[in-house]
Amino acid sequence: MSYEHNDAIVKSVNAIRKGPRVLQLYMDICAKCGTCADNCHVYQADPTPEKNPAKRSDLIRDLYKANNTLMGRMFKKGELTKEEFEKWVQNFYECSGCRRCAVFCPYGIDNSVLTRKGRATAHNLGMSPVRIKDTQDISDKFGNDEAQPPKAIIAALEFLEEEVEDECGVKIKIPIDEPADILFVPASADLISFPETMMGVGLFFHMAGLSWTMSTEAVDGANFGLFSGDDAHMKRKNKLLHDASLKFGVKTLCIGECGHAYRIAKKIGGPNYWGENGKLPYEVTNIFELALPYFKDGTIKVDKSKFEHSVTYHDPCNFARSCGVTEEPREILNMIAADVREMTPNRQQNWCCGGGGGLAVMDGKEGVTAFGEQTFMDSRMTAGKVKVDQLKATGAKYMAAPCANCKRHIGQLLEHYETGVESGGVFDILLKAAILD
Amino acid sequence: MDFVKLVVGQILPFLTILVLVVGLAMRVAKWSKAPVGKMTIYPGAKSGGELIAGVLKEVMLFRGLFQGNKGLWVGSYIFHAMLFFIFFGHIRVFWEALFFLPEDMQGMVSSWTGGTFGVILLIAATFLMIRRFMIGSVREISDMEDYFALVLIIAIVLTGDAMRFWGAAHIDLATETRPYFIALFTFGKVVVPSNPWFLAHFLLAQVLFIYMPFSKFLHIPGIFYSQSLVQKL
Repeated sequence: MSYEHNDAIVKSVNAIRKGPRVLQLYMDICAKCGTCADNCHVYQADPTPEKNPAKRSDLIRDLYKANNTLMGRMFKKGELTKEEFEKWVQNFYECSGCRRCAVFCPYGIDNSVLTRKGRATAHNLGMSPVRIKDTQDISDKFGNDEAQPPKAIIAALEFLEEEVEDECGVKIKIPIDEPADILFVPASADLISFPETMMGVGLFFHMAGLSWTMSTEAVDGANFGLFSGDDAHMKRKNKLLHDASLKFGVKTLCIGECGHAYRIAKKIGGPNYWGENGKLPYEVTNIFELALPYFKDGTIKVDKSKFEHSVTYHDPCNFARSCGVTEEPREILNMIAADVREMTPNRQQNWCCGGGGGLAVMDGKEGVTAFGEQTFMDSRMTAGKVKVDQLKATGAKYMAAPCANCKRHIGQLLEHYETGVESGGVFDILLKAAILD
Repeated sequence: MDFVKLVVGQILPFLTILVLVVGLAMRVAKWSKAPVGKMTIYPGAKSGGELIAGVLKEVMLFRGLFQGNKGLWVGSYIFHAMLFFIFFGHIRVFWEALFFLPEDMQGMVSSWTGGTFGVILLIAATFLMIRRFMIGSVREISDMEDYFALVLIIAIVLTGDAMRFWGAAHIDLATETRPYFIALFTFGKVVVPSNPWFLAHFLLAQVLFIYMPFSKFLHIPGIFYSQSLVQKL
């Protein structure tokens, strides 16, 4: 007896025939040279066939060919069993969607596109890993990924104001739901799990004297629709940012230290969803591009010797490869930290930490899927080894990663490999380095 | 033998051209019509000119592969460059092209370069085949069609090299192939060469061209499209 969802899976894959150019091309042109595997952190850390990027993409390619091409019909299997589809979900959630393969593939094949297609197929059958599905549901209900009602958000931000005062001795204000020039949207984790980044950003706005606000209705830029392949959710979540930008009449929507949030707000969604001819009535930027001029012109006074650690900068895949933001964070980092060391390779060729594509939130039982318990913790700790080796080579004692997914994953990684290295964001360091008079 | 000559030399060539041209045109038209999203891999190309330059850099120099796997770059680059030159060198099979040289000198130069390139191509193709067998990460993603494509090319090169280097397989371009192709395409009185090496070589090459629009060989037109997708801002 064939698997009950087989028809739906085949239908999802067959849709490629009339689908986007990228998917059609990827069905046709891969020459199986293996260069993706040579440059994939998941495969390099654990060279087993299921972790080979081309092999993973073949899950879709083979099913497509078996149902759509003459040769495929003759030689390939056109259906999946339940066990094979379980494996499918597992495999597509072992890829962090970092797009590094596309940098080195002779054809520029971006396997993350097929990873997202594979995940979307699972998501439409209600078979996304529980943590991914739950986060989307929470986000749809509360408007943020942390299940925080407006009151709690206001209380959390007031708490952060006090924390800044305790740490830096300066009273700052984090404006909320006010008309302003800039709407600031951080990563969801910056409110609760990684408050230092939010505190550092708040301190920056205070020192720069800018007109800014946050919004209780669009308090985070996290968007799991990118990870699950759920385009409708991605658009819904992004609409909150757009609506808030219009509501407060801002000139600038500024995304904080969150790579995928910036990619969606600036590249994938944002102007493509709501713009007229790709233009929005406000500018979309990120905290680094916005803040750098104020560091350069001396508005933000710092003493970089006040930060005692040697630092290395981790390029989040979404900032570096997918948005081209590589220099501004480094320039700021070099102004607030005295000992900054580069990992190699870096920038667009940086190795993914292993926490991308939503993997960072999937530990232990949180990675349970509709099929039962499936943990991704072991797989992503293994995949992170490449990053850890890269870090160790620098000897740095602090890894600055301006992305909540990277930060969460790297934190666990550094503990797992007992490195004794700390991790955090970039603006966290401003709390230490700022000169306040 | 006459039947083989009729099929390989008089019927198949027209079918080959039809399938190749229509097949590729249909595939490329299908790609062209499909919707495109934003998927830049930065730094990306800032202008139309930069985009063309960037794509050509990949097509002509294999820039990404050079950074991603130097060993494969060497083998693959030589393989593709030799294929390219040899493909266009075949103009001498159809036409007494002289390229600024007197005929006997041109014959010698063509013979030497074609022969040398043919040997290098055989070595490069063998390297790719051995690599596919020997390296785990490549073997585990290799299908029957990946081996078939290489076997086909190696067989074409072997029969071609045989005609070049082995006296018994030699075919004369001026008296045999050129009159044949001219008659074929002007619908004149066709005399198909009887040389079995030629017939085998010609048949295999036609199989390759017929197979092209339905196989991984689509990477030849495809690279222009797929590289544009990731380089376009």
